[in-house]
Amino acid sequence: MGKLRILIFLLIGVTLITSSCRIAREAGGTYISGTSAGDAETLNWILAADSASFSYAGHALDSLATYDNEWRVQLRCAAKDVEVSEDGLVYTVTIRDDLKWSDGSKVTAEDYVYTLKDLMFSDWLNYTYQSDWQEEVDGETVFVTPEVVNEVTFTITRQTLDPEFIYTVRGLTPYPKHIAVKYEGDVKAFTQAPEFNNLTYTGNLGPYKFVEWIRNDKFVVERNPEYYLGKDTEAPYFEQYIIKIFGTPATCHGALEARDITYTGIDPDKVGKFKQIEWINVYTVPTTGYVLLAYNLRDNGWEGFKQKEVRQALSMAISKELMIEQVLYGFGEPAFSFIPKPSPWYVDKGLAKYGVKPLLDKEKAKELLLEASYATRKADGSIEVINKGGKPLKLTLVTNTGNEIRENVGYLVKQELSAIGIEVELKLVPWATELRKYLMNKVPGTDQEPRYNNGVGAVSEEPWDLMIMGFSTNPLSPSGSDVFYATKGGLNFWGYFNTQTDELFQRIKSKEALDEKARKELYAELSRLISEEQPVNFLAFQLANAGFQKNVKGIEPGINMGYNYHMWYFE
Amino acid sequence: MPMKKSWLRDYIIKRLFYAVIIAFGILTITFVLVRVGPSSPADKYLANVAARGQDVSQVVAAIEARHGLDKPIYEQYINYVGNLARGDWGWSFSTSMPVTELIKTHWIYSFQLIVLSSVFAALLGILIGIYSAVRQYSKTDYIATFLSFIGISIPNFWLGVMLILLFSVQLGLFKTYYDTSIPLFSLANLKQLILPVITLGTGMLAGYTRYTRSAMLDNLRKEFVRTARAKGLPERTVIGKHVFRNALLPLITIIMFDLGSIVFGGAYLTEIIFGIPGLGRISFNAIFADDYAVVVTVTLISAFLILMINLITDITYTYLDPRIRYD
Repeated sequence: MGKLRILIFLLIGVTLITSSCRIAREAGGTYISGTSAGDAETLNWILAADSASFSYAGHALDSLATYDNEWRVQLRCAAKDVEVSEDGLVYTVTIRDDLKWSDGSKVTAEDYVYTLKDLMFSDWLNYTYQSDWQEEVDGETVFVTPEVVNEVTFTITRQTLDPEFIYTVRGLTPYPKHIAVKYEGDVKAFTQAPEFNNLTYTGNLGPYKFVEWIRNDKFVVERNPEYYLGKDTEAPYFEQYIIKIFGTPATCHGALEARDITYTGIDPDKVGKFKQIEWINVYTVPTTGYVLLAYNLRDNGWEGFKQKEVRQALSMAISKELMIEQVLYGFGEPAFSFIPKPSPWYVDKGLAKYGVKPLLDKEKAKELLLEASYATRKADGSIEVINKGGKPLKLTLVTNTGNEIRENVGYLVKQELSAIGIEVELKLVPWATELRKYLMNKVPGTDQEPRYNNGVGAVSEEPWDLMIMGFSTNPLSPSGSDVFYATKGGLNFWGYFNTQTDELFQRIKSKEALDEKARKELYAELSRLISEEQPVNFLAFQLANAGFQKNVKGIEPGINMGYNYHMWYFE
Repeated sequence: MPMKKSWLRDYIIKRLFYAVIIAFGILTITFVLVRVGPSSPADKYLANVAARGQDVSQVVAAIEARHGLDKPIYEQYINYVGNLARGDWGWSFSTSMPVTELIKTHWIYSFQLIVLSSVFAALLGILIGIYSAVRQYSKTDYIATFLSFIGISIPNFWLGVMLILLFSVQLGLFKTYYDTSIPLFSLANLKQLILPVITLGTGMLAGYTRYTRSAMLDNLRKEFVRTARAKGLPERTVIGKHVFRNALLPLITIIMFDLGSIVFGGAYLTEIIFGIPGLGRISFNAIFADDYAVVVTVTLISAFLILMINLITDITYTYLDPRIRYD
């Protein structure tokens, strides 16, 4: 009897121990994510240029690694983190050995290398983001070199250093070589390949399997019981996952309120209402998107902008906190450079915080303009802002139609600048017009092809002085923003040319930045310089609001909120 | 009778021949307009491209090359028409599927909405209009007139959102969006179409009420009505057979015209509000994506439908009023 009791206790103990090791839950329910941002264009991700397409395909295909809310690496298809050689030139990737395509064949290093060499780097496919995998060697643009080491290991070799290239490598996803070779060299056949357009090859590579995609309506995937991360946990825990497309944010919000959908993003002005609804949780999380006021430093902009002090004066006259409160309903953080606060490379110390006190001072702004000869002191001691011809200063502010936030920021800038005596004319133009007439530029009287940065002397077709824009920064590799702020940056629309800035961007991509401490110091220096220089007025980083039905559990609110979404479940 | 058949057949053949020529003209104009516009299919990616720190020019060139948009426009046009002649309507690069497949999947959603809304508006509008005319200046007539003006004045996008907020969000009687997983030929589908049909049909219903009333009143005062009544015909026969039949001619014109205009664009807003993945929504998105294969095809289908609707209207006239001849 005693032995039997011991045996029973042992059995119970073993059962309890093993069940506590497996955090398995029963899968069930349909998770519906509502969006009014538009549909994806393709599931054949290598042809995609829109974020929705990558996001759809991502439900069935994991990348090598991803990041949690604190930017800690979370291994996915990679068996261990990407190893970088001491000289920073060779990246060694080891993939898991339990990855399978849908036909049961193994996912190998050969598939990854083929995807890189024969698809992404090929001439015939025109992969949109080829430049991620290119480097400048002796004035020539060349691709990095991928090579298979063994079945589960491959290397990628660079000739030049780029300490931030590792983030590109970690984002890699593969195509099955044995299927893709059938379409090799024929872009039409590849584009229309049923396997790639219906994600029938994805095997156990993602938490979900493709079910159907009704264009402009919904994208449906179902639980993948074979998912390699679900071996111990039986994740994911939703039977179906649907992305439902709505025509307007109002109907999308209505659907969340009526419990017809599980999740949607909430517009800032609706957050208060949704926080009152007892069956909804609203999480406010940081984003990488920022709103800025660009100054046209080219020859067809107001000549005053060529002086740093004048740019600082204008930035000093516009309250960022007022803008956040009035336009973003409080859901924003003042921005002082292009690096967002949640980035591991953000350094607050030494930033010139224009637009918040004490560097929010309209009187001081006028004095700076007076010193720069753009104002006169009147007999009563007050300062009147004028242009060089002695007339009242009038500036043209351009932004695109259809973006309520930018339009409202435009009105606020107009109001703030009028308080220091600058008249602002607000021009709302369609996006395509803004691109072609206000952003593309060329040197007048030449045969130059208009581009977004044609260097010194180039001007846009239509003159402008100020422009409200919205950009985002990759928090892991903010140096990608050199396209906006470096002299040769392809998107340096406004003509900001500064050798010091260029040098810092270059140093961040050099050997000295391999050491993360040194890289952080370089970023700190760059942020300080750019906040001082004010090539643009960085206004605010936006915060996003995510509304979920309260019965969704497992969510970790943060900048990468969805990183563990395969572990979410319904209570 | 054989005489009539003969000129009518000739007339139909002639109109069909013209329809083909007009459709070809529309195809050419639409193709050129879409392709010579200043925008590029790559425009909408700029923000995303910029966020990734990419070279915009390279991305634009890659996207245009992949879709054959880097070739001269005449070459693109010749390729397109050549493919069309072989029955290949092209590949929609904004949805990644063949255009014919896209149309085949989505036309039914627009069709059911347009047909049900038109039937709802025409039946109810004509009935209310007749009642209003027969009971002119009665309380019912005043109420119908008042409601008709409200119906005409309400923008359907506003009405749709209000209906969703009231009946779906507040009362929970309907789903907030159109659910494509519900079988098309089911009561559940009919139920989920109630709010979209009311949204799209209300404006038309109000219009038909007013037109019917006015056409009926116009005919009620005519000599032949007095004669019919003098002959002792029952009032139902006078109204139904004599007055209504004569009032029907202008009404047919208006109903067919409306049908044409909602095919062209009226249904689009309703599709947007209720999340119905119909052709209106597909073509609207295609316009912004510069997806010319879809834009040209949908425009062509709409134009052809309008031409056919006009032809059917003309033929209907000859039956409603045998005096009308087109020879």
